[in-house]
Amino acid sequence: MDLRWHHFALWAAFIGGMLALPQFVSSGTLRTIIFANYLAIFAISWDILSGRTGYISFGHPFLIGIGAYTTAILTKRFDIAVEYAIPSAVLMTMVGGLILFLPALRIKGSYFALVTLAFMELIYQLVQVIRPDLTGGTRGMSGIPTLTLGARDGFYLSFSLMAAIALSMWLLMRTRLGTALSAIGMNEESVRGSGLSTTRLKLFAFLTGAFVAGLGGAFYVHYLGSIAPRALFDINFLFTILVAALIGGLSTVIGPMLGAFFLTFLLEYLRPYLPGAERYFIYGGIALLLYMYEPKGILHLFSRGLDRWRERVSS
Amino acid sequence: MSFLQIEKLDAFYGKALALSGVELSVEEGEIVAIVGPNGAGKSTLLDSILGLTTTNGDICLDGNSLIGTGSAAIVKCGVGYAPERCNLFPYMTVRENLLVGAFTSRENIDSNLELVFKLFPQLREREHQETSTQSGGERQMVSIGRALMTSPRLLLVDEPTIGLAPKICLEIAEVLRRLCKQFGTTIVITEQNTNFAMTLAERLYVLETGEIKASGTVDEMRNDARLTEAYFGT
Repeated sequence: MDLRWHHFALWAAFIGGMLALPQFVSSGTLRTIIFANYLAIFAISWDILSGRTGYISFGHPFLIGIGAYTTAILTKRFDIAVEYAIPSAVLMTMVGGLILFLPALRIKGSYFALVTLAFMELIYQLVQVIRPDLTGGTRGMSGIPTLTLGARDGFYLSFSLMAAIALSMWLLMRTRLGTALSAIGMNEESVRGSGLSTTRLKLFAFLTGAFVAGLGGAFYVHYLGSIAPRALFDINFLFTILVAALIGGLSTVIGPMLGAFFLTFLLEYLRPYLPGAERYFIYGGIALLLYMYEPKGILHLFSRGLDRWRERVSS
Repeated sequence: MSFLQIEKLDAFYGKALALSGVELSVEEGEIVAIVGPNGAGKSTLLDSILGLTTTNGDICLDGNSLIGTGSAAIVKCGVGYAPERCNLFPYMTVRENLLVGAFTSRENIDSNLELVFKLFPQLREREHQETSTQSGGERQMVSIGRALMTSPRLLLVDEPTIGLAPKICLEIAEVLRRLCKQFGTTIVITEQNTNFAMTLAERLYVLETGEIKASGTVDEMRNDARLTEAYFGT
């Protein structure tokens, strides 16, 4: 593993700075950051599952939804304590990850993406018709127990969760395992030719991705206190996750985080000027430009700038 | 029985028959070349040894059958595969490319890396460079290097000289020869360049439309009409 002290110093500075943030910013901004934190969790998990292995999943809300619905139903309908409900939700999401993994044994590329899109649509229809007394049907659920009161606590919880996930995934992906997962996305046959079981590697990626998605989905629902199927199993939500990972920088952990914060704040600041769906044109345009000129994402933009600065300093 | 023994091998891509009735044997410490034109089935033959195709027939390494064991186990048995150089991981550094090859032979990572860098000193300088930015020759070296990271007893190299300058071809030939002499690695290469194959290998097999058309030592083959026939037709 290639670890340097300054990496940890950067992490410590980032975490320390963020934890001090509530002293300086309004609770409105904090609520925006809370959403950014959850989006970052979803984008990180999507990147582990899809960004690295190249098995582009359009079904991420499927996984998040399983986590969210499981814990919502358990706590609200069966009065089960959150301490048990959230782990069960994560386990159920990993089962969902297994289901998503089945098509990945056979198909790849755009076909895989379409099948996973069908998964999302399927669960959207299912929660509305099967046992609406449990799922709340089309209207969803409200009055789900929340874990925190107020923006400040919500911020601390969501940020700690995000930072813990990001740091552990960052460490995990810096092992050769992470390298092998990225290698699958570039040339799966060659990975097999090097004597690795790509099936096992992919299974690992799907389960880890589902684990993180389930964790994020469950905590998110306990932050919102409600669940709305139309907002959850929604193309816009799906694309926000994908675009966050894409414009941040695929096959990294920091990239999706950066992308999530960038997108959330962009959408939020555009809100006063463009209250409707027009905002999505702007963000689509930015994503397009970035993708044309720097397909490796914002993270790469930063590291290139850093390199240039270093050159100028040394010369 | 030979070190590598292939008997009555048929290979398929789906339903299409790509190899039929291939018989081939390689002794330990030998360099053997499989020559033939495009589409003859050379790469398919290497893929089949590695368990990447559907096959009938038998492939034995050192007396153990490799059929049905799966590529991961085959690599662990000591088969290293250097595919054509376009099969690297382009957005990874040289080092990362090499490390992906190191999963089956974890205890030897450091010594294997050292060996690769000793054989290809150029790669040591470019250790942290992305392979997408490298020349064809360097990428070929990375491909062979990645195969060496698996600590192979049998090294399969697919078209090592395709599209490379004559000088680089000689360099690569020298490294393969050294691997064979110094480390006793058995080597099977595929080639279209028969001259290169004849200077490197001790024995040749001529493969055409999925069948072995001729085989023999380099001296026997040098004046064999079947070799030219395989390329130019009659």
